[in-house]
Formats: sequence, structure tokens, C-alpha cells
Amino acid sequence: MYSSRLSLSAVSGLAALVLLLIAPVFAAQNQPAATVPDVDPHVATGSKTAPITMEVFSDFQCPACKTLFMTTNRQVMDNYVSTGKVYLIHRDFPLPMHAHSQVAAQYSRAAAQIGKFEPVEQALFQNQEKWEQTGDVDGTVAAVLSSAEMVKVRAIVKAGTVNAAIQKDVALGHLYNVNQTPTTVFHSKGQTFPYSGVMSYEILRNFLDQLAAQK
Amino acid sequence: MMQSSPLNLRRAIIWLGRLILGGIFIYAGYAKIFLPIMHPRPPIGVALAFFALQVGSYQLLPPAGVNFVAHTLPFAEIALGLLLILGWQLRLWATLSTLLILGLFGAVVHAYAAGMQINCGCFANPEPLTITTVIRDGLLAALALLMTIFAFVEARQSHPWSAPTTA
Repeated sequence: MYSSRLSLSAVSGLAALVLLLIAPVFAAQNQPAATVPDVDPHVATGSKTAPITMEVFSDFQCPACKTLFMTTNRQVMDNYVSTGKVYLIHRDFPLPMHAHSQVAAQYSRAAAQIGKFEPVEQALFQNQEKWEQTGDVDGTVAAVLSSAEMVKVRAIVKAGTVNAAIQKDVALGHLYNVNQTPTTVFHSKGQTFPYSGVMSYEILRNFLDQLAAQK
Repeated sequence: MMQSSPLNLRRAIIWLGRLILGGIFIYAGYAKIFLPIMHPRPPIGVALAFFALQVGSYQLLPPAGVNFVAHTLPFAEIALGLLLILGWQLRLWATLSTLLILGLFGAVVHAYAAGMQINCGCFANPEPLTITTVIRDGLLAALALLMTIFAFVEARQSHPWSAPTTA
């Protein structure tokens, strides 16, 4: 009788082992290639040859994206991007639930084309609560650009040429199974790590250090 | 003393709980340590640091607590899973497993109720935390609870396969 109980335990152990072996096979499906396609240099910061690449899928009207930008990513810029360890790429992922995020993405892309992405990105996030109420994206951007720059930005937005770039980012996000913002996709040594949500800099720092130390 | 039949509902649930929860615990721990969804696979240090990001996203612990949980939970899951499947000292390990699952379920409910847009982190894959996650974890917590209660109930009864006691 004892041996019957033992064999039942053995069967259950075997079942768990089978589960262990087959689960990764299913889990490995739908993983995109660990490369970084279609990088628009106007919305990327740092060295292309950095050992770590961070793609941040962001929506200018999303409060969590603002938090990530204002806290963690600023420290990443200061300590990892400026030292050549991280290549930081902004990806537009305007969510349909946000009324003005598509327009904000268009203005930021247009500003990027005249080399003014950083001040516009900062202005849009810093004043998010204001323009999301009024819808005055144009006024928010105009506050940090000169009149001549603003004429160019408005012309680019009106021409609609930036929409293709935004759509490319959204399509890439779908490839990574992005369904919320902010989502950060880390690339290092051919590996891809997708992460959704805001990160504490103290914890992210440890992860970046581990990635950079990989041989 | 009462004697239960070898195959009753309580025993079936205990077996089911041991198999399902044991298997899930082992896979959950293994997935966090080795990241089998990733090709090429990263070193364990990278995998655990990545898991720490997911623990941190729940915003329940300070950074030191996050790192402690991220570096111990996967190993505890594997150990508990193996012990559940082996069935040795079942009441003890079933109780600990239930407490762990209830703790994880509490964290998931808290994050969902707070509307946090995060990944579950349950199996180290990018699985968004949705109502499906909450229901799944709730069912697992219920199974763990039943398994533990029934393990205590069954332990009070003589086993049907044991030799009859002489007066």
C-alpha cells in the first residue's frame, strides 16, 4: 500500500516535470526579434553603440508616462545615457482613450524634425494637466519655441508627414505586445526585456548595472 | 476512530491542489530564475534584477524589500512546489503555500483596485494585470485554502490503507 502512495507521488512529480518542460515552448511564441528597428535619431538620446538600449513607448497624455519621464528617466539620462551606457529611444504610443495624445505626438515629432524634441517633450509632460483640459497643445509647444520654429512645426504638423513615423512606432509596439503605457523595452546582448509601468530608479539602476555587466 | 474511503472529495481536492499548485509554484520559480521565454537566456543575476522591477511595480515595498523578495521568492516557490508534490509534512507546507498565495493574491487585488497599469510578474512574462489575473489568482488561493483545510481534516482520520488498529 505504501508503494502505491509512493508511485502516485512519483506520477505527480513526473507531471510537474512535463509542465516545466513544455511551458517554455508555448511561452516562447510571439517573441519579437531582439533588434531595434526604425530608430528616428531625432527622438533618440545617447550613443548608438551603448551596451543597453531602452525604448520607451509613451503617451504624452498618460499620467504614469509623465511620472516615469519626470523621475526615473531623468536620472537614467544623467547617469547612464550621458555616460554612454544606455541609448534611450522615445516611441510614440498614443492611446485612443486620450483625446489629445495623437496631436501631442504630432507636435513632438514635428519639433524633433527641427531638432527641438527635448524641450517640447519636457513642456508637454510638465504641463500635461493644463493642455489635457483645454486641448491647447499648440500653445504649450509655442511657449518653449521661437516664432520662427513654431511656424515650421505647424507646417510639418499640417503636412501630416509625421503620422507615418507615429504609426510605425505603434506598429512596433504591437509587435512587442505593448497594450499600455508607459512600456519600456530593454535590449542588451540580443535579449529583449519588456516592462510595463513606472519604475523606481533605485531598482532600475540595479537592473541596468546587471545588464551592463553581462559578458 | 472514523475511517474515510480511499477516494473521496477531500482526498481528490488535496491531490489536485498538490499537483496544480506544486506544478505552478515550480514553474513560476523556474521562469523567474531562468527566463525561458528569452533567447538567448540571460544570467540569473539579470533575470532576478528584472524580476525586482516587476516586484517594485506593485509599489508595496521599499527598494531593499523589493530586492529581498525578488532574490528569495523564486527559490521559495520551487522549494514549496517540490514539497507539496512530495507530500511530506503536507500540513506545514500547505499552510505556508496558502499564506504565500494569499499574500500574492492580496498584492494583485491591491494593484488592480488601484488601477495600476502593470504586469502581473507571476511567471516572469509580460502578462498585463487584468481581471482575469485576479480571478485566476483567487481560484488558486481558494484551492490552496481548501487543500490545507482538508489536509488537516484528513490527518485526523485513520488512513484507509493503514493496518487496522488492535484494541
